[in-house]
Amino acid sequence: MTGADGFTLLLLLLWGALAGIDLVSVPQAMFSRPLVAGTVAGALLGDVGAGLRVGAVLELFALDVLPVGAVRYPDYGAAAVGAAAIAAGSPWELGLGVAVGIGLLLSAVGGWSLLALRRLNADAVGRHAAALRSGEPSVIRRLHLASIARDVVRSLLLAGLALGVAGVTLRWVRLDRGTAAALTIAAVGAAAASALGGAARGAGTGSRRRWLAAGGAVGTVLGVLVWGLL
Amino acid sequence: MNGAGRAFLRLLSVQGSWNYERMQGIGMGFAAEPLLDDLRTTEPGRYPEAVVRSAEFFNANPYLAGLALGASARAEYDAVPGEQIVRLRAALAGPLGALGDSLFWAGILPALSGLALAALALGAGWWVVALFVLAFNAVRLATASWALSTGLASGMRVGGALGASKLPRAATRSGAAAAFAVGVGTPMAAAWLLHPFGARGVASAVLIAGAGLGLARWSGARFTATRFGLLALGITLLLRLVTA
Repeated sequence: MTGADGFTLLLLLLWGALAGIDLVSVPQAMFSRPLVAGTVAGALLGDVGAGLRVGAVLELFALDVLPVGAVRYPDYGAAAVGAAAIAAGSPWELGLGVAVGIGLLLSAVGGWSLLALRRLNADAVGRHAAALRSGEPSVIRRLHLASIARDVVRSLLLAGLALGVAGVTLRWVRLDRGTAAALTIAAVGAAAASALGGAARGAGTGSRRRWLAAGGAVGTVLGVLVWGLL
Repeated sequence: MNGAGRAFLRLLSVQGSWNYERMQGIGMGFAAEPLLDDLRTTEPGRYPEAVVRSAEFFNANPYLAGLALGASARAEYDAVPGEQIVRLRAALAGPLGALGDSLFWAGILPALSGLALAALALGAGWWVVALFVLAFNAVRLATASWALSTGLASGMRVGGALGASKLPRAATRSGAAAAFAVGVGTPMAAAWLLHPFGARGVASAVLIAGAGLGLARWSGARFTATRFGLLALGITLLLRLVTA
C-alpha cells in the first residue's frame, strides 16, 4: 500500500465496504470470501500475487467455520483487504505472516461488529413492534432498508479501520528477515490446521471422513510433486 | 399473482435486517411485499394480516428461503387460514435451514474453495477466483429461482415438492465433494506457499498444523481458527524475540 494514491485508497475502501455488506446483508455473492476480497484488493494495488496469497491463507482459516445464520463468525472481507494492503509491494515470503496476523485480528473485530449490528437491528424491531402489527408494508420496508444502511456504515468503518491499521503496520512494524519468514511459516501451518480441522469436524465419522482422508493423500502427493518439497 | 421478479431481487437481501428478535423475518416481509400487492385489491380485508404474517419470525438458509416465501404467498391467495400459514412457515424453517446449509455452506462453498486453492497451487492465476465467484453464483441463483417458483406453484403442498426435488441428494453428494476438495486443496496450497522455505520450513509448518489439529480435537469448537492462528503467530514471534 506504500505509495498508493488517494483514488486507489478510495477504491480499496469501497471494495472493503462491499465485501463487508456482502457477508450477510446483500448480495451474499461471496465477495466477502477472503480469497476474493484479498485478490481484488491485490489487483487494485497492482500486486495480484500478494492478494492471491493473502487471500488463500485467510481462506484456509475461513474454511474452519460455516457462515450459518445465527452463528458468530469472523468477518474476513475488510480484513483481507487490509491484509493484502500490508503484503502488496513487498516479497511475499516476508510479508505474508504479518499480513495474515493483522488480518486475523481485523476479522475478529469484524465479527464483533456484526454482533453489535444484530443487536441494533433487534432494538429497531422492538421499537417498531406496534407499527409492525399494523400490517403496513412501508414499516417493514423502512426497517429493512435502515438495517442495510447500518451494515453499510459498519462495513465502511471496518474497511477504514483495516486500511488504517495496514498503514500503521507498514509505517511502524519492522522485522528482521528470519522473524518475518518464521511468521509466514507459522501462518501457513495454522491455516492448514484450521481448514483440515473444520473439514474433519464437518465430515463427522462416516464416509465423508474417508473422502477427506483420500483428498488429503492426493493433495499431499500432488503438492510434494509439483513444488518439489522433498 | 405478480411481482415474482421483484420478490426474487429482494430475496438477495433477505438477511439484510437479520436480528435476534425475528432473525430473517423482516427480510422475508420485505421480499413478500411485491407478491402480496395484488391481494391489496383482490382481498383488502386479508391484506394487512398477510403483511403482518410475512414479517414474523423466520430463519432458514437464505438461498432456499424463497420456497417458504413463495408457498406462504400462494397460500394467502388460496385463502388458507392464517394459523395454517404460520405453521407452514414454522415447519419449513428447520428443513430449509438444514438442507440449504448442508448444500451450500458445508457442500458447494468449501468444494469450490478447495478446488480454487488446488488450482492456484498448480499455477493458475486470478481467473480461478473469478471462476469461483461465477460458479457459486450460478448454482446459488438457479437454486434460489427454483425455490421461489416452486414455492409459488406449490403453496401448502411445498413439503412434497421439496422432498421430491434433487436437493437432498445434492446436499449429500456436495458434502462428500467438499471433504475431498478441502482435503486436496489444503496441502497443495500449503506446499505452494511453503516451497521457498525448504524442508525445515515445511517441517515447522507441519508441526504447527499438527499442534493445531490436536488442540482442535482436544478443545472442540471452543478453540477457533482465529484464536489458534493468533496464538501460533504470537508464540512464533515470542520465540524469535527470545532466541534473537
